[in-house]
Amino acid sequence: MIQTAKLDVRAGDSLSSLRELFKALLGVEGVEAILVPQTLPGSSMVMPVLVKDPAALENADPLAPAFPLNGAGILSKLTRKPLGGKVAAVLRPCEIRAFVELVKLRQGALDEVVLVGIDCLGAFQNRDYFRFVKDVAAGTTALFCRTVLSSGRMPLPGVQIADACKACEFPVPTGADILVGLYGVDTDDHLLVQSRSARGMVVMDALGLPEIEEPPLRAEAVARVVAQRTAFRDRMFEETAGSIHGMEKLAAYLSRCVNCYNCKVACPVCYCRECVFATDVFDHEPFQYLRWAARKGRIKMPTDTLFYHITRLAHMSTACVGCGQCSNACPNEVPVMELFRTVSHRAQKAFGYEPGRDVEEKPPLTEFQADEFHEVEGMTGVGK
Amino acid sequence: MGGRESLMARKTGRVLVVGAGIGGIRASLDLAEVGYAVTLIDRSPAPGGTLTQLDHQFPTNGCGMCKMLPLVDRDASSQQCLRRGFFHENVEVLPSTHLASVQGEAGRFQVVLDETPRFLDPERCMGCGLCETVCPVQVPDPFNAGLTRRKAVHLAAPCAVGGPYVIDAQACTRCGACEAVCPTGAIRLRPEERKGFRVLVVDDERIVRDSLRAWLEEEEGFTAETAASGAQALEKLAGAPYQLMLLDIKMPGMDGVEVLQRARKDFSDCKVVMMTAYATVDTAVEAMKLGALDYLVKPFDPEGLMPKIEGLYRDLRKAAGRHLEVGAIVLCSGTSCHDPADGKNPFGYGVHPGVVTSLQWERVLGGAGPFAGRLLRPGDCAPLRKIAWIHCVGSRDLQSEADYCSNICCMACLKEAVLTSQKAAGAVDTALFYMDLRTFGKTHQRYREEAVNRHGLRLIRARVHSVAGDGSGQGLVLRYVDGEGFAQEERFDVVVLGVGQRPAAGTDVLAERMGLPLNAWGFFQAEPFSLTRTVREGIVLGGAGSEPRDIGDAVIQASAAALEASLVVHRSGGALEPQPPSAEAVPDVSMEAPRILVAVCSCRDAPSGRFDGSVLARRLSRDPEVKEVVFVHETCTETGWRALEAAVEKHRPNRLLLGACFPQRQGNRMRALARDHGLDPFCTEVADIHRPLFSGAEGPPVLQEVDYILKAGLAALKRIDPGPVPTASVRQSALVVGGGIAGMSAALAVADHGLGVDLVERGELLGGNLRWLGSTLEEDTTQTLLEETCRKVQSHPFISVHRRTEVVDCSGEAGSFLTTVKDEDGSVRSIAHGVTILATGAVEAVTQSHGYGRHPAIVTQKELEQQICQGGLDLERVGSVVMVQCVDSRQEPRNYCSRVCCGATLKHALYLKRQKPDLAVHVLYRQLMSYGFSESRYTEARKAGVLFIQYEVDAPPQVRLAETPGQGEAAVSVEARDPIIGRKLRIEADLLVLAVGVVPNLPPGLAAAFGVDRDRDGFFQEAESKWRPVDALKEGVFACGLVHSPRTIRESIATAQAAAQRALRLLSRQQVPGGKRTAGVRASLCSLCRRCIDTCPFGARSIDPDSGRIRVHPLMCQGCGACAAACPNDASFVTGFSAAQMLDTIDAALDPGQG
Repeated sequence: MIQTAKLDVRAGDSLSSLRELFKALLGVEGVEAILVPQTLPGSSMVMPVLVKDPAALENADPLAPAFPLNGAGILSKLTRKPLGGKVAAVLRPCEIRAFVELVKLRQGALDEVVLVGIDCLGAFQNRDYFRFVKDVAAGTTALFCRTVLSSGRMPLPGVQIADACKACEFPVPTGADILVGLYGVDTDDHLLVQSRSARGMVVMDALGLPEIEEPPLRAEAVARVVAQRTAFRDRMFEETAGSIHGMEKLAAYLSRCVNCYNCKVACPVCYCRECVFATDVFDHEPFQYLRWAARKGRIKMPTDTLFYHITRLAHMSTACVGCGQCSNACPNEVPVMELFRTVSHRAQKAFGYEPGRDVEEKPPLTEFQADEFHEVEGMTGVGK
Repeated sequence: MGGRESLMARKTGRVLVVGAGIGGIRASLDLAEVGYAVTLIDRSPAPGGTLTQLDHQFPTNGCGMCKMLPLVDRDASSQQCLRRGFFHENVEVLPSTHLASVQGEAGRFQVVLDETPRFLDPERCMGCGLCETVCPVQVPDPFNAGLTRRKAVHLAAPCAVGGPYVIDAQACTRCGACEAVCPTGAIRLRPEERKGFRVLVVDDERIVRDSLRAWLEEEEGFTAETAASGAQALEKLAGAPYQLMLLDIKMPGMDGVEVLQRARKDFSDCKVVMMTAYATVDTAVEAMKLGALDYLVKPFDPEGLMPKIEGLYRDLRKAAGRHLEVGAIVLCSGTSCHDPADGKNPFGYGVHPGVVTSLQWERVLGGAGPFAGRLLRPGDCAPLRKIAWIHCVGSRDLQSEADYCSNICCMACLKEAVLTSQKAAGAVDTALFYMDLRTFGKTHQRYREEAVNRHGLRLIRARVHSVAGDGSGQGLVLRYVDGEGFAQEERFDVVVLGVGQRPAAGTDVLAERMGLPLNAWGFFQAEPFSLTRTVREGIVLGGAGSEPRDIGDAVIQASAAALEASLVVHRSGGALEPQPPSAEAVPDVSMEAPRILVAVCSCRDAPSGRFDGSVLARRLSRDPEVKEVVFVHETCTETGWRALEAAVEKHRPNRLLLGACFPQRQGNRMRALARDHGLDPFCTEVADIHRPLFSGAEGPPVLQEVDYILKAGLAALKRIDPGPVPTASVRQSALVVGGGIAGMSAALAVADHGLGVDLVERGELLGGNLRWLGSTLEEDTTQTLLEETCRKVQSHPFISVHRRTEVVDCSGEAGSFLTTVKDEDGSVRSIAHGVTILATGAVEAVTQSHGYGRHPAIVTQKELEQQICQGGLDLERVGSVVMVQCVDSRQEPRNYCSRVCCGATLKHALYLKRQKPDLAVHVLYRQLMSYGFSESRYTEARKAGVLFIQYEVDAPPQVRLAETPGQGEAAVSVEARDPIIGRKLRIEADLLVLAVGVVPNLPPGLAAAFGVDRDRDGFFQEAESKWRPVDALKEGVFACGLVHSPRTIRESIATAQAAAQRALRLLSRQQVPGGKRTAGVRASLCSLCRRCIDTCPFGARSIDPDSGRIRVHPLMCQGCGACAAACPNDASFVTGFSAAQMLDTIDAALDPGQG
């Protein structure tokens, strides 16, 4: 199933090679279109674009350190119902993992998708990306990739990839049909193209790229990145856990939140058609507000801030892929990602669950196992 | 309670159920769910029977009693732990009551019920427990099997929290301490009616007169007067009526005999008891011929005298007991445990505190047991390292006159040992000494193996000789003879006696009263081929009164009995079609703003003495939706309840909140009130304010606590959804798949209720396995049964028989299934039906073991049966027969006991011995499963000279075929090791009979079509093996007969009747309500992620292919809320538990009460 090939890079321009690859993908029988991030005309902004015409791939830029939104949601819109042809989707690892979660929740389907995953070098938060492209007038993507891959440093002092990316243990896509490898590869000469599924094999055969061995240094390079990111992640967990422990601390942590619900909109696995916080469930009786105010002497408005985040944690933390779009979308710099990752990590560990790992793996809470969580069994002392 | 009649869509006909244990509750619920009225009596003060003492049941090792509660029309019944009490609209529960007499015939029995004096009015008892604290009497607590002590006034069971309390009339000394402290005046130790019992004491000796009068009046509460002579006595009798005269024989002037004669003539209502000295006992006996009831010998011992008078009092009251007419009577009288102290007591029960019964050990394991669930030794609370169980104490024992197997003890002991081992985390050695480990239930063999392999139980096949002290004080020495015949000794800290079952005390009296025969061991005798029918039509047997049964079998038996009772009532005119309910339609208040009446119950100084009620009223009234707050005095009394009704009439609320004690006791009353006064019953709520008012000093201030309890109630009430209860329409006919005896019995059971049945049989003929079976172990001939059943089925106007027809597919759900069938010509058609009963049976397993198929002398039990029936067996040339049990059975992959083979072997062995007494018959077996009364056949077979040789699964008998057949050499020879003599045997056999067991016939495709699961051996997987034994998890599908589990004919028929009874719950109405608490979906919010479908344990959810939306089946949904929990955005909800309602309730409960 795993077949490795090389995609030649000419004059160090890996982006052009990738565009050639996408063009070739569009030529594969059955592939109707390709979803790929492109720089929008007249703008520096990079957005997912659904391309049908091979000629319209000239602005494709999947390596740009821009991550304005998680593409899983877009792909879910495309695959909720039969599409009538395959679409190749070029996604970051966290986008693929989120999409797998959505497929489990029947918000999308894999039947008509070829998932193309590229080794992820991380991306800037939106405002940092805008600063970056402003300061580095041209060739931003190439500069970013070259600097990161060669030195692990940033091309511009003071501009960092997002904390979510720094803490991400999945720089290499899992669950992709076709993988494009950068780590441990001589990207000035070629990129690595690998099939990772039966579906990917078929596509690889059609592409007809020259086969090579996987470079021996790749595994080591990946491990180095993962170790570095895990170390960052664990520091982040430690700091965050300290600042959210207890209701009072948590309230302070979330004190900048204005209940705009942007984080929920940006979250790729927050899949409800209508969030419960947008329904009448939290339309309290007017009399109730008075009572609350009377009880405590005062009451912060809006009232359900903490409850909103805790509810989202309860609903989404087992599916959280740590893409960081919540923090990216927050207008008030609430560290939402840190909160979610810290809590999710524990929840996922408790269930032995890893979101996006396997589409056949059922989400926790939909499966009842009689023999688990004995530590929380038996409410002794209750009813005495 | 004027509204009660109207709220029940009650069918005509009432059934009396005697005994409120598991069987009685099951039978009552079955009948009540169909719509009949039920009177359920039990002589004990609380329902539940033995099960209340068993915290854990195998195979789940937990409790699941609540799984018996109704699954459809759920609101008619309580939905709480059955150990805490139970009600159903159609069931009248009468505790402390027994059956005094029965007259009449099936369809019209006149019964008299007698209530034991309770001395405590349960309606007035609010469970404060003051009485218990002052009671000076302590007696061994039967709940903990005597391991703890309790007061004479006590809670019926520890789980009956909140009461009512009960008084043990035997133990109570009537000291009056409790009566004095009872804050509600619930206790009356000398009730008024006792004063109405007037006794005349006639004696010429003043001391006798006065002392008797004092006893009778002061101790017993009767009215007593005296007369010093015969003349004076007659004068008194003429002046006022007396119920009893205690009459001295030897008096100057007119003697007692003369007074008796005159009194009998003129005052015949007055019963007479003679008083006599030893010298005139003969005269007293003569007096009895003249009409005296009894005689007492002077001098009197009050201890002996008063119970006699008490008995007379009760007998007289009985005549005034409750008279009732019922259509049928279901006896669920149950069993009791053998008392191992009886007889020679070789195990020292009652001598060594470390020797306990299995019931006692059950209590040690229980959380409400003597050590709160810790493993300690009764007596000295020493920690434990080694525990032994001795099986068959008082079972399979000729010395204790119990030549039968008690059925339940092997599994009970295994379970106890597993639980013990789990509790001790393996740190306790558990050894079980058994004769045969009877794992004859479907899953029991695997339970046994897990007990050994996973929990480390030691199973020792041995007969225990005795248990003695080890000389050190508390240790025990167990002496036994091992399998090889050697005497052994082992020390244990505790020895648990797996005591056998006996008929419940009083079974003989009950039998005599009802004119029913008992079998040789004192259990009720059922008719041939039935577990339930007795000689007296209309009186049927449920539960374990006719044979000891485990829970699953008792539940099946109870449902089968309910079916028989239902048929009797139906035949005598009780209709299955309901009478239209006369209650007016419930008003729809869903569009009205809440107008809530808050009624707070008051009594004694509560709440007025605890806080200022007006403050509470003012606070609650701040809520704009509270219309009025009223205080009602003693709603527990009739007067109080009427005052509450008056308040409702006056204020005309659309919602009612009652703050009172014990909401669980108010269920039926509140609903009746609602319906009588134009309220939606779901818009009423009872908030429990008992704790703050009566629990003493701890906790927050009383006003504050009452305030927030009521506010929480208000919050729930305001946001309640008063919409209608969802219903499903039911096509009132059944599909029965399989035309064997089970299928036919099920079809008849349904059709005899006037409902249509389609019976599908793929074969040419009806009858199934009964076609080749000749007789039963009980020596009843099966052919009559077969012919009669076939005739009834084929000529039944409501049964359509489809022979040579197979099921292709089935769609739909409970109430409306559509099944496609195909006949042998290939023509296909559809049958619409409301329920499905699977009775596809089983066949004898195919074997290649033990040389089967290689020689005509090697046959299976079935083949032998056929040879016997068809006269093809020539015993002339047969000198030796060997039978091998458990061929390919009770080992992987078919690791279950087929239950019928040992019986068949015994039957055949006995037959052969009768035909040819000098025939050598050897039975090679692993564990002989002659459960129940078939044990006596095992004894009989041994007496007849059949030799039983035990073998181990890893050393099965070896069969060799003779090389030169004929010439006086037997056809085959069998080699086995005899463990008793410790040698290998070689047995020449002219006939080798293999017991190969049964394999079910339920192809995966057929199971899938009906949406049922198969267990790992291919049998029907029941929803719950103990509590819902014939239901599939999918509502509306049931199974019976051999496809359900290996069973004998009569047991199969019982499963068929049980399945039919379960089906009738649904079929008896055209529209069946689910429950108010049913899940729903807000399609506008639903993302169709289907997590709810995956989560629903009842399979109640599906995607409707037409609308593309999630659909909830109202009868299958049980309102558990798993879907609502799985749904992230509240698109799935459960009515009555909406998020808004819960949030407001929680908020109110957290409100410290200043608002």
